[in-house]
Amino acid sequence: MKINDLNQLSKKYRKEIFEKFLLTKQGHPGSIFSMMEIAVTLYHGGYVRFDNKSVSFIDKVLVSKGHATSTLYPILRDFGVIKKSEWDNWGKSSTALRIFGNIKIPGIDITSGSLGHCVGSGAGMALHYKRRKIDKKVFVIISEGELYEGSTWEALLFAKHYNLNNLKIIVDVNDLIILGKTQDCLNLDPIDKKIEGLGIECFKINGHSINEITKSLNQIEKNKNLSCILAKTIKGKGSSIMENKKNWHYWNPMSDEQIKKTREELE
Amino acid sequence: MLQRDIFIKEITRSLEKDKSIYFLSADFGAEALDELREKFPKNFIHCGISEQAMIDIASGLALEKNKVFVYAMAPFLSLRALEQVKCGPGLMDLPICLISVGIGLGYADAGPTHYSNEDFACLNSLVGNTIFTPSDNNTTKFIVKDFIKNPRFSYIRLDRDKQPELNPDITKDDYENGFKIFGDLTKDKIAIISHGRIFHNCLEVHKKKLNETICINLFRSKPFPKNIIEKLRNVKKILVVDEQTPGGNLGSCVFENFSSNNFFPKIKNRSLDEIYFFENGGRDYLLNKHGLSDNDIIKDLESLK
Repeated sequence: MKINDLNQLSKKYRKEIFEKFLLTKQGHPGSIFSMMEIAVTLYHGGYVRFDNKSVSFIDKVLVSKGHATSTLYPILRDFGVIKKSEWDNWGKSSTALRIFGNIKIPGIDITSGSLGHCVGSGAGMALHYKRRKIDKKVFVIISEGELYEGSTWEALLFAKHYNLNNLKIIVDVNDLIILGKTQDCLNLDPIDKKIEGLGIECFKINGHSINEITKSLNQIEKNKNLSCILAKTIKGKGSSIMENKKNWHYWNPMSDEQIKKTREELE
Repeated sequence: MLQRDIFIKEITRSLEKDKSIYFLSADFGAEALDELREKFPKNFIHCGISEQAMIDIASGLALEKNKVFVYAMAPFLSLRALEQVKCGPGLMDLPICLISVGIGLGYADAGPTHYSNEDFACLNSLVGNTIFTPSDNNTTKFIVKDFIKNPRFSYIRLDRDKQPELNPDITKDDYENGFKIFGDLTKDKIAIISHGRIFHNCLEVHKKKLNETICINLFRSKPFPKNIIEKLRNVKKILVVDEQTPGGNLGSCVFENFSSNNFFPKIKNRSLDEIYFFENGGRDYLLNKHGLSDNDIIKDLESLK
């Protein structure tokens, strides 16, 4: 799929998810909008391989920032993994879809929500594939807020030791946590130097540039060693009401005027 | 032989045929583990001294349909990694067996950081797990074989020290039941219920008071054996003894399960004092001084009369 098409899909999905927020009146728009281009490129860019016969994905995607798992729902719907009726019912009637993902939802590979688990879980899967010579990859998307969790660093040490180059870690660096900027709350910088200190090569990119995401995924694909993408993103990307606003980690009530404005901006 | 060596030897034996088994250690060893590592290096994973990551790694392996054993010292595997255990094998109902070694005051005189006096309450509060506290080698062997045949979220509480054999042995039928009664069951007797190492102390007391007591080895506390209630329905007085702090120990578990089945005998809970133990003197010294001497158990029996 061409870059322009992937951009168009990202826009389409933001709009669709925004309409779901209006229905469900809950969720985490800031974190979902920040990782949209990453998710779209992974799936529609063909990095997560799809098996048409079984209508399922060969590779795994673990959204460690579980509050943003619903980014994947419209994508999985378009691949036929999540039924259209499940998507349509979300916010209206009974559906398997949830704000936080779980493994009972078709196409969702991990139950997540509590932060700091998925580098470890992904490492377990990746080590199994390596030892059994199974041709599969595991993409793990974490928020930079998960770098506050000790278990993330434990798992990074592990992944490096076993050189799990089939584990593809993407850090969504949107600079914000619930109470404010990471730099102000508890500084994580320089993230790249800290991860590189473990011997893990980092690729710093603009996480909204399909071109940069594609290039970095191609690079880590070729890399024989474990590497990591640090994707700089904007929390709430696409909506001026939400962008870089800490309170838009969660959904907030919107006036009719704000809804109209957001719809126009997401168009 | 130590319980951990018995456990690991059985796993090693199973690995000859079943390569879907993984054994993870947080830098915790055993004589039998050396053999497993040497024979099956592809099935052993050293996770570093990282209990939390170890559980997450185990979850990843289990999601790929493997049977996973995770192995560490009891206080660190249970309390330090509790949330990982909830979110991994708990929420996703994964076939992970946690092998916790050194329950109670097993690591005397290492001090309170190394004592595991709360692990039962913590793990018992999670949903969907099976909990075993074997007192002998036979039960330990049954547990491993059962997990490999029927893998599920399990928490196994092993003692640090070698345990004496039981006489008579725990049989396959006893294992299926989840408990064994020592002594002749009559309605006037007081039932002493216990598990793990401290069960042996209870058994000694029972032998001194054969006419007044029966002694029950409740090695599977979860799922709670339903038929124990039917067996004890006519018993009026029960003493539960556990090498744990008072809150949420085996006594609580017994009471919860009895009461939810409309069985209301008089129950007394005998456990360690609710303190952190800093003093030296060895395990027996601490048990004797802090609530779990034979005399403490006998006094409770007297008070129940």
